[in-house]
Amino acid sequence: MKTTFKTSLISLLLIITTAFVAKAQDTRIQLGSLDHLAAKASETVDVNVDERLMKLAARVFSDKDEDQRQIKKLIEGLKGIYVKSFEFETEGQFGAADLEPIRAQLRGAGWTRMVNVVSKKEGNLEVYLQFAGEMINGLAVLHTDDKELTVVNIVGPVDLDKLAQLEGQMGIPDLGIESTKSKKKTNEQ
Amino acid sequence: MKTIATKIFIAVFVMCFISMLVAQAKGDDFNSVVKMIEEFYNVKHEGIPFLAKAGMKVATTAARIKGGTARRLAEAGSIKLAVFEDQKFNGDFAKFRSSLNQSLKVTWTPLIQTISAAGEEQTYIFLRDNGDKTNVLVITIDERDATVVQVTLSAKNLALLLKDPEGTGKSITEEATLIDQE
Repeated sequence: MKTTFKTSLISLLLIITTAFVAKAQDTRIQLGSLDHLAAKASETVDVNVDERLMKLAARVFSDKDEDQRQIKKLIEGLKGIYVKSFEFETEGQFGAADLEPIRAQLRGAGWTRMVNVVSKKEGNLEVYLQFAGEMINGLAVLHTDDKELTVVNIVGPVDLDKLAQLEGQMGIPDLGIESTKSKKKTNEQ
Repeated sequence: MKTIATKIFIAVFVMCFISMLVAQAKGDDFNSVVKMIEEFYNVKHEGIPFLAKAGMKVATTAARIKGGTARRLAEAGSIKLAVFEDQKFNGDFAKFRSSLNQSLKVTWTPLIQTISAAGEEQTYIFLRDNGDKTNVLVITIDERDATVVQVTLSAKNLALLLKDPEGTGKSITEEATLIDQE
């Protein structure tokens, strides 16, 4: 009887722990499915700023330096920044099938596509946010061009304004988010 | 009673053994990476035995970088450097990358990895928290040369690295190899 109780208790604890871990990792997009593209790419960039590095960054960015103070403010509360970027010499080196594992995750619970810009000149830009109630828990950006593919995943409370300001910092490439917003504003007028 | 004592002894022994392994891994990672490059690409590095003691030299040399205005990145005496010159680095870069990440994953965190021209130029930057200091491991491999640099960074310079991982990583390698040329 005692053993049964112990086993049930352990199982319950395991289930609770797993649920917590799953919740914490929900907004982290698994990007490993893109790794095979590195063999065809002329340039591959892989940035991993996990929670440990995020905390380290928050600790070392100085309040005295204007730039660093700005970044410190922007990354406050973030749990991770992950970037995978590929550049190709020629067109047609990747297709919808390569992106499907990423899109499948972004079709999951909580993710909403907020921005979708299709431009012949600047490529396609999709921005996804994950909401938990009214709170934003994570952000994903998918930028595709004929010869370029970039996925950015920010885990934690973030919005487009923050992302626009983080462009070019901490390994995040310049995705033209600001210009997208300007375009949106222009369209609204 | 005897069983409990035995269990405690085994637990303590296992814990000591694990911490010993982690400590050993922490100390030997630089050498392991150098050895891994040698075995994977069938190349040999050139030893620079006095480099670790060249703290004073580091300060003067680095001050001369960029016309003498640039600040020293590495903490004095903290540089470990292995250079591979004019050798062939032919091999499956994806396999190498995977082995490298696998071997360092216990004690190091990958920050940025860049691969150009299908593996002809590879750069890997790993970080390891060491109390109030941070160890940085920068590995660069191109068609004919490779460099492995391990340095200790102060909080100030770590901030620079986190802000601009690619640029600061390059500066760390440049700084270390400049000292080598002196």
